[in-house]
Amino acid sequence: MQVDSGITLVHAIWSAGRSEEILTGCDGGVCGACTVSIQLKEKPGKTIIDLACCRLVEEGMTVFPYPVPPVPPVQPSSEPSADTLRKAYPTLDRCTKCDACTTVCPMGIPVMESIKRMQAGALEEVAEDYTTCIHCGQCRAICEDRVQPHTMGMWVRRSLAIKSSAETTVPVDEDASRAEQEWAYLLSGDRKTQLQHCQQFRQTGKVGI
Amino acid sequence: MEWAKSLIKKVEDTRQTRLTAPAPELSADESQALLEKYHPDYSGQTRSLCVGPNAGDDEFFPQELADMLESASILPADFQPTPDIETDVLILGGGGSAASAALALEGSGLTVHLATKLRLGDSNTVMAEGGIQSALGHDDSPRRHFADSFVGGHGANDSGLLKILCESGPNEIQRLTELGCLFDRTEDGRFRLRLGGGASLPRVLACRDYTGLEIMRVLRDAVRLTSVTLLEESPALELLDDGEGNVSGAVLWDRKNNKTVCVSARAVLLATGGAGQLRLQGFGTSNHIGATADGLTLAYRQNCRLVHANSFQYHPSGACYPPALAGRLVTEAIRSLGAQVVNREGRHFVSEMTFRDVLSSAIIREVKEGRGVETPTGSSGVWLDTPLIDIKHGPGALRQQFPGLFHRWEPFGIDPSKLPILIFPTLHYQNGGIRINEFCQTDAPGLWASGEATGGVHGTNRLMGNSLLDVVAFGRRAGEHIRDHLPSRKPITTNNADRFRSELNIKRSNAVKGPLLFPKAMNVNINIGD
Repeated sequence: MQVDSGITLVHAIWSAGRSEEILTGCDGGVCGACTVSIQLKEKPGKTIIDLACCRLVEEGMTVFPYPVPPVPPVQPSSEPSADTLRKAYPTLDRCTKCDACTTVCPMGIPVMESIKRMQAGALEEVAEDYTTCIHCGQCRAICEDRVQPHTMGMWVRRSLAIKSSAETTVPVDEDASRAEQEWAYLLSGDRKTQLQHCQQFRQTGKVGI
Repeated sequence: MEWAKSLIKKVEDTRQTRLTAPAPELSADESQALLEKYHPDYSGQTRSLCVGPNAGDDEFFPQELADMLESASILPADFQPTPDIETDVLILGGGGSAASAALALEGSGLTVHLATKLRLGDSNTVMAEGGIQSALGHDDSPRRHFADSFVGGHGANDSGLLKILCESGPNEIQRLTELGCLFDRTEDGRFRLRLGGGASLPRVLACRDYTGLEIMRVLRDAVRLTSVTLLEESPALELLDDGEGNVSGAVLWDRKNNKTVCVSARAVLLATGGAGQLRLQGFGTSNHIGATADGLTLAYRQNCRLVHANSFQYHPSGACYPPALAGRLVTEAIRSLGAQVVNREGRHFVSEMTFRDVLSSAIIREVKEGRGVETPTGSSGVWLDTPLIDIKHGPGALRQQFPGLFHRWEPFGIDPSKLPILIFPTLHYQNGGIRINEFCQTDAPGLWASGEATGGVHGTNRLMGNSLLDVVAFGRRAGEHIRDHLPSRKPITTNNADRFRSELNIKRSNAVKGPLLFPKAMNVNINIGD
């Protein structure tokens, strides 16, 4: 395929009229649709997994689309721990620490280290590890032991959030009569008056001058 | 960035003085003058419509959008719909609003199908970086949120919708947290609130610069645990009606099997998002590849009136260099933490925390008047002085809070904590859209709409963080209203679409086919089998 230099793989594939061959979602590095396996000219034996929307074309590179379909998730828990995670994902302890998952992650997440943290119950750190996870599924696809790192990462993050939501409630509105008075001020009159009132109110937080 | 060495030096040389100098503020009159002179909405590359509910108004639409609104159906003229699927609720769209509606319908006992052009989650929601607004701060209130948004929207907002948006903020955050979203917190455990452009108080909750990703992946995970049937890679080609003006289904294009699928539904929700991929006036866009105004195009054929659909948001900080990143978003949150916008001469020419449309206009002015930085590929922009973040907040602060920025720029050998980056406005958001009432009902009975596809709530300029709130709040609202007011099943015909086609034949013989479905750059062959 002959394409302009300096463009991404996705745009190269499009411009060659072959957009049907590459699954694309956001074209911005966050949806995980366009994963590809790449071999570079100078290192033909080494396979790299990356996002086609973030990787630039290079002379002589070989590219295969490698999308990974999703698997059904497991309901999160309001009591997250290593044990409840094991119950949700019984394959957690099958990890043989081969580290292939870390190698394929296009987001640079320390996937295998994070699996160890899951086993040890260090779930806050796990949640941090998966902050940038785009759920492309590569860590799961490469795992010969059927460990599902990214779906477990999601389970941990959701479970921790659910637990924290029980502990912190969002403050709900205070003084009802004050609220009513302020709404009346902001919504009354024609559009011009409303705009003036809004301009005034946003500066002082108070009704009237 | 070797080519820019001497230019970067100017930015570095003025950094110390800029650090303590006050930001140059503009008066309301100066802002208005800037908008009229430089904002792309005022460029005059527009035309009025001659077919459909907005025909004959003195509103002018960007040509690319006008062509879609007055486009001819992709379906053959003799197409006869027969139901392949019967469902209670058909949700069209795969972003935050569609997913929120699907979750609201769970447990209702209704059958729900969610059809989306790409995969569930491939949307503008997932690409949102900076955050979600909700009045949770000290001294803040939904009224203050309203006042900021109304002023930001130039008072053109539908105040009823905006009141709902602002009042729903705290509850939606509570719901998202209960669903499993982790928002950044301060050391004492409270939500960390950032200041958004045009806001009078810090009100933006975030998950680093991946807030949309966090919300979308949680919503998607939750939807996959419901009984909703997903129809992915299935764009809607046409809405169906009962011959008496009620929307009663849709025709989908099942791309995997290359065939049309007719869905009979008692209610249809359009949550199809925006239009950035129409690339108005050749602008780059921060939008996902599906943002081609499909929902507007289809609803318009069903006699749905559009509001402010000629108003677009050009996000001030789109990437301008390297060319492979052109148009991609650099979140406003970086400006909110203190990265200044600086011209070729090293001058801090405007406050970066003014309203988005004003800031974009100021950047375009600098470039047009020769104070921009021209890149080797011919594009021009201004500097966003990102190294200021670590100077102001300590070493490592930029990387800690904005990992996405590094993930995108570092492959090009650019470390944004050391070098400023080049930005230029990028087509980011469709401010207007399909007219809805407070229950997300459109002008066509049987058809609801929510999220970016709708118009009114944001007026003619949206504040940062209000769209993520919009998609979750109004998506859920639409779902709940459909659940409680489900119409009866009706026949499916192409009556409205046929009438629109006849009108087009008379008044606009050179109509293109629509909706566009995919960006032109993709060269997708839309050749549908039976």
